[in-house]
Order: sequence, then C-alpha cells, then structure tokens
Amino acid sequence: MQPNKVGIGLIAFFGLAGAAFAIVPILIGVPGEVAGILASIGVIWVLVAGGLLWYARRQEKKSARNDWIFRQGLRGTATVLHAGSSATVNEMPLMSLRLELDVPGQGTREAKRREIMPVFVANRMEPGLVLPVYVNPGDPDEYVLVW
Amino acid sequence: MSDVQSAYAELAAARGLEALGSFAPGPLTPLLVEGKGEPLRPALRGTLDDGVEGVVGQLAYKRNKTFRFHLALTEVPAATAFAPRVFCIRRGRGTRDDEFYGFESRQSKLWTESKALNERYEVATSPYQDPNWLRQLFSPSLVDWLGTKPPADFSFELAYGALLGSVEADDPGADGLAALCEATAHVATRVREECEE
Repeated sequence: MQPNKVGIGLIAFFGLAGAAFAIVPILIGVPGEVAGILASIGVIWVLVAGGLLWYARRQEKKSARNDWIFRQGLRGTATVLHAGSSATVNEMPLMSLRLELDVPGQGTREAKRREIMPVFVANRMEPGLVLPVYVNPGDPDEYVLVW
Repeated sequence: MSDVQSAYAELAAARGLEALGSFAPGPLTPLLVEGKGEPLRPALRGTLDDGVEGVVGQLAYKRNKTFRFHLALTEVPAATAFAPRVFCIRRGRGTRDDEFYGFESRQSKLWTESKALNERYEVATSPYQDPNWLRQLFSPSLVDWLGTKPPADFSFELAYGALLGSVEADDPGADGLAALCEATAHVATRVREECEE
C-alpha cells in the first residue's frame, strides 16, 4: 500500500519541472522580469511537490498502521446500522457509516466511519450487513474495517 | 432470431430455464457497474447447474466500443462475512483501474500466493482479507480446476454475496453458455462449502 505510479510521477514532475523553472532561466541569463515570473512558477510547483510528498508519506504511515492492526488486532464483526452518502470523490461515494462493533473481549459498541467506496460497494452498505473488522487490542477506537 | 437468441433458447430448452426477456441485476459487481446499468438481454432464470439457482444473460454496453459479456449470476450470501470481495479475472481482460489516482491506499490487493492460479488469472481481494480463508478457498483442487476446466475466458467476481461468472464473447453458443453456467455453479458450490466449514 503506497503511492502508485501516477502519484510518484506527479511528485517527480512538479519537483523537477519546478526546480528547472526556478534555476535554469537564471543560469542561462534570461532577462530579470521573465526569469522572476518563471522562478515564481517554479517555486510554486516545488511547493506543490512538497505538499504531495507530505501527503504521500502520511498515507504510507496510515497504511503501515492499518497493516499492523490487521496483523496484531482482535478480529470481530461490524454490523452496519446506518449508511449514507452526501458527496462523491472521483465518481465514488463518500460513505458515512454507523457501525456496531462486536469484538471478543471488548464487548459491543457503536462507532462511526467515513470511507470512499466504489459504487458497487456503496450500494451494499445497508443496515444489517456484517463485515469483518480488526481492532487494536490497546485502543478500541482504532480499527480496520474490511469491506 | 439472432444467433445469440438462438443459443439462449437452446440453453433454456435443454435446462428448463425460464426466459425473462431482460433482467436488471443492478450494480452488484465491478463488471455490472462497468455495464452502466444495462440489463441482461436475453436472460434466463433457473438452475444453473448442480442445484445452484441463478440468472444467465447477455450484457452489452458501449464505452469506446461495444462490449459483450455473457454472465451467470447467483448468490452466496454467507461469503460476505468471510470475504466481502474476491475477484478472479482472466489475465489480459481489460478492466478499469480501481486505484485512486495518486496517493490513496489501494482499494484492492492482489493475491499472488498461487503461481498456478496467477498464470491464468489475476486475483484481487479486499486489502485486509483474511489470507487463511483465501488459501482454503483456493485449494489445490480448485486451482487445478480453474486452470483447466472452465471456458477459456471465464472470470468471476464475488462481491458481498453476489457471484458473477462471465465470459467475454459475441456468440459463445449454447454449449459455451452451458459451460459458463456449470463453471459459475462450481465456484458457487466451492465458496458455499468453504463458508460452511
């Protein structure tokens, strides 16, 4: 679970092209005003690359944490109590779920979750659906929902 | 009557299936989402094989060109609690990318433990699917069967209890449709057995 080729390509493009815009005009002696405009664009692009890199690292950490919970967590079930969506991202519904978690040793409790899901998954998120769940043994609020 | 309609009529007569005219299954699996809500037409309902009930029909939809699939749809509701999603797609079949474009985690994970299976199919599951359950489902006998017995283009999608077997073909003929029904029923029976164990 890591940034895909598109993500890596975007970081590389904005980083390298931004650096080139910022540095090359100065090195080849482009007149001051034009060089300044290109440098400004370059700096913005480098900042965009930095932001994307930060986001990618955050996603990697989140995935690594979920992997740990999956390996070390307590397996239980999550029953969908309510599911709804009021937005889409990349044509996929952003689902708001209310779940009843039932985990051995931790009892039963309600939890809320938001997930971006493909259409065929979102359509199945109806009350009563039972899904596997893995819960951090030391923190019941941290869990991986298998959908 | 077209060749495809004739093939379905022949299948209906041979297996005692009920002609539905058309059937709209809804967006139950990625292929049915890809089909943009087009109904199965023609469509037949009844016993696919070995006591497994379902619907078999043709899905045709246009994207950059017209795609034609023949589908057999059945239900294994118990599978959801064990494996919400298992997709076993013949290698080389064009399917849409299910990743976010860039940085989000994948929404599916390739399962590559069986070399024999992966020579012919690409198997994808939920990212946190229990690998032990998958190992038991894809037993050596099922892997051997998948590699040798189903129709050449056979693929299946198991999503939230809906099991969809498919072949991509303009006119598979009545024998091809029968093979699709038998292959889908075989997978359904195997999944059901594994859920019961």
